[in-house]
Amino acid sequence: MKLGLRSKIYFGMFSLLLLLGIVILFVVSGVMTESLLEENRNRGVSIGVNLSARITEPILAMDFLRMKTLVDKTVQLSDDIFYIFVLDAGGKPLVHTFKGGFPADLKTANSVSEHQKFSMRLLDTGEQLIYDYAVPVLIGEDRLGTVRLGLLRIRIQKAINRIMLIAFLSTGFVILIAGFVGAFLARPVTRRIKILHESSEKALRGNLDIHTAPLLKKNCWDIMNCNKQECPAYGNLHHRCWYIAGTLCPTCVEGEYAKKITSCQKCPVYRKCSGDEIQSFAESFDTMTQSLKIHISDLQHAEKILNEQRELLQTILDAIPDFVSLQGHQSVYRSVNKAFCKIVGKKEDEIVGKTDFDLFPGKQAQIYHQENHAIFNTGKPLIKEDKISSPKGEKWLHVVKIPVFEADGNVAGLLCSGRDITELKRVQEQLTQAQKMESIGQLAAGVAHEINTPLGVILGYAQLLLEDVEEDGQIYADIKTIEKQAKICRKIVADLLRFSRRMENIVTTLDINQSIEEVAAVVEHTFKLERVIIEKNYGLNLPPVMGDKEKLKQVFVNLLNNAHDAIGSDGVISIATTFNEHNNEVIISVADTGTGISSENMEKIFDPFFTTKGVGKGTGLGLSVTFGIIKEHEGTIEVQSPPRFAKEKNGVDKPGTVFIVHLPVAGHMQ
Amino acid sequence: MPKKIFSVIFICLFIFVGCSQDEPAIKVDLDKKEQVSLKEEADVITYAYLPQYSHTVSYQRHHLLVEFLRKETGFNIKQIFPDTFDQHMTMVGQGKIDISYSNPFIYIKIAHRYGARAFARIAEIYNQENFRGQIICRADNRLIKTIADCRGKSWLAVDSTSAGGYLYPLGYFIDHGIQKTDFSEIAFSPGPGGKQEKVVLAVYAGKYDIGTIREGTLNVVADKIDINEIRVIANTRWYPGWVYAARAGLDPKIVEKIRKALLKLDFNQKEYQQILEAADFIKVIPSEDRDFNPVRELAARVGISLEK
Repeated sequence: MKLGLRSKIYFGMFSLLLLLGIVILFVVSGVMTESLLEENRNRGVSIGVNLSARITEPILAMDFLRMKTLVDKTVQLSDDIFYIFVLDAGGKPLVHTFKGGFPADLKTANSVSEHQKFSMRLLDTGEQLIYDYAVPVLIGEDRLGTVRLGLLRIRIQKAINRIMLIAFLSTGFVILIAGFVGAFLARPVTRRIKILHESSEKALRGNLDIHTAPLLKKNCWDIMNCNKQECPAYGNLHHRCWYIAGTLCPTCVEGEYAKKITSCQKCPVYRKCSGDEIQSFAESFDTMTQSLKIHISDLQHAEKILNEQRELLQTILDAIPDFVSLQGHQSVYRSVNKAFCKIVGKKEDEIVGKTDFDLFPGKQAQIYHQENHAIFNTGKPLIKEDKISSPKGEKWLHVVKIPVFEADGNVAGLLCSGRDITELKRVQEQLTQAQKMESIGQLAAGVAHEINTPLGVILGYAQLLLEDVEEDGQIYADIKTIEKQAKICRKIVADLLRFSRRMENIVTTLDINQSIEEVAAVVEHTFKLERVIIEKNYGLNLPPVMGDKEKLKQVFVNLLNNAHDAIGSDGVISIATTFNEHNNEVIISVADTGTGISSENMEKIFDPFFTTKGVGKGTGLGLSVTFGIIKEHEGTIEVQSPPRFAKEKNGVDKPGTVFIVHLPVAGHMQ
Repeated sequence: MPKKIFSVIFICLFIFVGCSQDEPAIKVDLDKKEQVSLKEEADVITYAYLPQYSHTVSYQRHHLLVEFLRKETGFNIKQIFPDTFDQHMTMVGQGKIDISYSNPFIYIKIAHRYGARAFARIAEIYNQENFRGQIICRADNRLIKTIADCRGKSWLAVDSTSAGGYLYPLGYFIDHGIQKTDFSEIAFSPGPGGKQEKVVLAVYAGKYDIGTIREGTLNVVADKIDINEIRVIANTRWYPGWVYAARAGLDPKIVEKIRKALLKLDFNQKEYQQILEAADFIKVIPSEDRDFNPVRELAARVGISLEK
């Protein structure tokens, strides 16, 4: 069982008092007993020596009467002298005080040499204890005999017992009184310490509204006779004013306890209200908990703000499309955003605390490490573009690494930010390609223009020759071939000229359904031969579209031809038109059940001269021309392969392609 | 840990206290009793020194001498201590004292009364073979300057039987025409023992005007008083000194053997110096009864009966 403080104090006090009592009891009684015994011993010796001196003459004279008288008178001196006898030099008894013979044992029970003043022995007769003294009877150095004296110990024992009893009783009484006084004194101390203990338990449980110190009996405003109700100490019954900051007494020093206590100690309020150490402890404990409560509240508030700030910062960081990371010493990652996690392909907690070697392949990590090392050493930022290859494809990253400096100018870490510039790179490439194409277009247009005239002459003469030769002959067939090939060339030249030259638009309001129907009617018969059916699903009440009817028909021809080429034979081409009120546009889609477009070709299909068709079958200019025409009409064209609706409809990939053209309705076009 | 320390302290205290109460006691049986009887030793030759001083002084002065005689003669010689001069004389008469060492006055009495016979006497430091009495007073006593001034004064003598301390001075007074009746008071020193010293001390204390002592006594009391405070008024004539006498009936062979032994004692011989120093004489010389006739004459002159 654990003892409480009060029990320990009582136990300790009782033990100390008991120990003290026992020590005093036995030391004092021991000293007194020893003194009594010493006194008794001296008394015995004194009587013996005295008798020895007085008995010398009678011994010499062998005057037994005088000897007997002397010993008898000496025995009568005190009740505790049990016997006296005198031995001669030969050890024979000369006189004694015994009745009815001399106890023979006594002769040898004690002895003394000439050189000793006396000898004392404790004798036990069986009934009582006797201190036997032997004192030599000497003349000069000559031994005449021995005086023997027996003192009863009972008397000295009684005195010793009485002393022991008195010492014991007085010690017990003192222990009792001291115990009561000690308990009386200890109780307030233990009670207050118990209150302190309970208060600290409360504080540990989180309850900081503690009033450990007793209520003030004298209030500072009464002592100072002040009426400053705005003073923080005014009306505060629980806290001493010297623990409160900002009190308004003229003698008060500004500041908290540590600053003002020295001046407060001179104040009459302090002198009247300050208590003992435990009270001061309780008061300072109260003040501490109060202060702790305020600080905790401040901390919680600060923590809340910090959390908000942190969340805000994290949100911003995560919202930034660029990836951001902060590395500390040894290039250990301290913070990253979501974009970084996405690039690395790990979660934040899998990255923070790790190094590049943990996250990237060895060679790449080594490069990063060297870069970081250089930044740490030089403090110079690094800007670079990186190409990253992954199973998903290649990526271009624009990376900036900036050193983060400490107050003393040392590099504390580095902030790395980067963004995916793959799209930018692609556009750059496209721009370059477009510029190249534009140059080729201009060249081709020039060449076409120059070739067009001689080609017209070749065709014209070839047709003239046909009229001149017979149709059955070889020459006719050859000339026919020339005509045919010349016509192909003329078409190529016409296409080139159409592609390169901005031909004047003849803009009218037109009905898209009608235009499509006109085109479909032309190709429908040809397609049927290959068992390719055209399904038409025209939207009703389509608003008219502003545009060059011929150019748009060229677009539809190109799309239908491409669809047919993709199918080859046995397929369906679906044409649908709808009106999208939301964007105020007309949407035309041409879908086929053909082979579809591979993903790598998807981005190139609108490039000039790109074709998957065999040699002599396509020029690679159809979709480029289509793209240009739609663009002229401020519309857009997109391609889906396989078509999204087919995926949504069947849930499985189905080959085929759909081209969707968005054209603004009339009135929208500027 | 502190509990263990407390326990050890308590245990030690109780052990300490317990031990301190037990003293070793020797068992004795008081019921085994015996009757005390001092058997007289056979063939003991008793030697007594006239008790002019305390028994202790007598013992101190003569026990070495007695020891010497025991060794020298082979006899069982034992010193005994009579309390008074009379007892000494009576014991010589009773045969209880075989060898008596006494002053000449006592000797003539025991010779007269009991037939004791002198066989040796001592030589003292001052006058080898004889001694004398001294009449003393306080040095500052202006009333007494000559022997004649003693008339009418109070006189303390050693003993009525004392030679140097009474008889010789009495003879001296009578020779100078002063009778016993001329003194305002004649008193004798209280006994037993130490009577010579008591005379000096009484005069020194002023209780008596004059005192009579044997020569040499002042040196004995030199350690007790300032002897310059004492003035010697007169010295008596020389008489033979202390005498060794054998009781009547003692075997002459024994007497002769003892006499021979005594005559060996000479202060000039180293081995006897300690004995003689203690006995306060320097040698023993042969003597016979007629050496003491002057003393007998003196006794007759002063009217002292040898019978009393």
